[in-house]
Amino acid sequence: MGLHLSHESRAMPGPTIDLTIYENEEALLTGLRRRDPDACACLIKRFAPLVYAQAMRLLGDADEAEGVLQQTFIKACDKLDTYEGRSGLGSWLYRIATNEALMHLRQRSPRVDLDDVAETIQTDEMPQRLTPWTFDPATAALNSELRTVLEQALASLPETLRVVFVLRDIQGLSAKETAAALGLGESAVKVRLHRARLRLRELLSAYMQEH
Amino acid sequence: MTCEELIAYLSSYIDHEMDAALVAEVQEHIAHCRNCRVVLDTTQRLIVLVHDEGQRTIPAGQRRALFERLHRAFLNRPQTWDDSNAQASEGNTV
Ligand SMILES: [Zn+2]
Repeated sequence: MGLHLSHESRAMPGPTIDLTIYENEEALLTGLRRRDPDACACLIKRFAPLVYAQAMRLLGDADEAEGVLQQTFIKACDKLDTYEGRSGLGSWLYRIATNEALMHLRQRSPRVDLDDVAETIQTDEMPQRLTPWTFDPATAALNSELRTVLEQALASLPETLRVVFVLRDIQGLSAKETAAALGLGESAVKVRLHRARLRLRELLSAYMQEH
Repeated sequence: MTCEELIAYLSSYIDHEMDAALVAEVQEHIAHCRNCRVVLDTTQRLIVLVHDEGQRTIPAGQRRALFERLHRAFLNRPQTWDDSNAQASEGNTV
C-alpha cells in the first residue's frame, strides 16, 4: 500500500513537512523506528482523523476520545517492533484504537439497563415508520446535515447496542471478532446488532420522511 | 412467515446467515408484503450509509489543536526503547 494522501489529511494543518519524503509505508516505518520527528508527524497527519473518529463513535466523549488518540499513537510507536506490516498501518492503528477505546468502556462504572441487553427485539423496537427512503447511499454522498443526524442517532443508542453496531457495521468486524473483542457470545452480538439496526433505521426514517 | 417473524430474521437474512429454506420464505414474504419490503430496503440503505461513515474524519475546526497536542505528546513520550534496539530489529520485522 502506498502513501496516498487523501484531501482530508493533506488539508490537516500542523508543522510544515514534506510528506513525500516517505515514498511508501515501509519508508515511513523506517523513519518511525529511527524516531524521526517528520515520520511521527506524517503518521499522525495521515491516521489521526480516522483513529479519533472511531474513538469518538465508541466512547461518545471528546475528552476520552482524545485520550484514546494519544494512547493509540504512543502505543503504536512502542509496538512498532512487533508490527509485521501485513494489514497496513491504517488497520493496525484502527485496531489498537478500538482496543484502547474498549478498555475505556470497561473502566466506566457499569450502569447496564436490563432492556439494553435483552436477547430479543423489544416491542418498541418493531418498525413503525414504513416510508421508503429516497436517499440512496450507493449513489449520493452524505451531506453534513444527514451526517449530524446519523451521529446523533448513534449517540442516542444505549452503549451495549452502539458498541456492537460500531464494530460490526462501521468497522466491518465479523460477528466472531466482535464477540471476542467484547467478551460476548456470538448470538448476543447478532441480537444486539439487529436491535441497533432497527432502532437506527427508525431514527433515520424520521429524518428521511421530512426530506 | 408472518411480518413479526420476518422482522426477527431480518439481520440474519441481510448478513447471509440463513439456510436456503428460510431465505426462500423471506423472499416470498417480501414479494407480497410492501411494509416488510420497505423495512428491508431501508435497513440495507442504513448499512451502506454507515459503512461510508467509517471513513469520516475529525471536523476541520478541531483538527489543528488536536494535531498539535498529539504531536507534542508523541514526541515527549517516555523512552521505552532505544535507537540501537530499533535499528537492530529493523531487518527482521519489516
Ligand atoms: Zn410483512
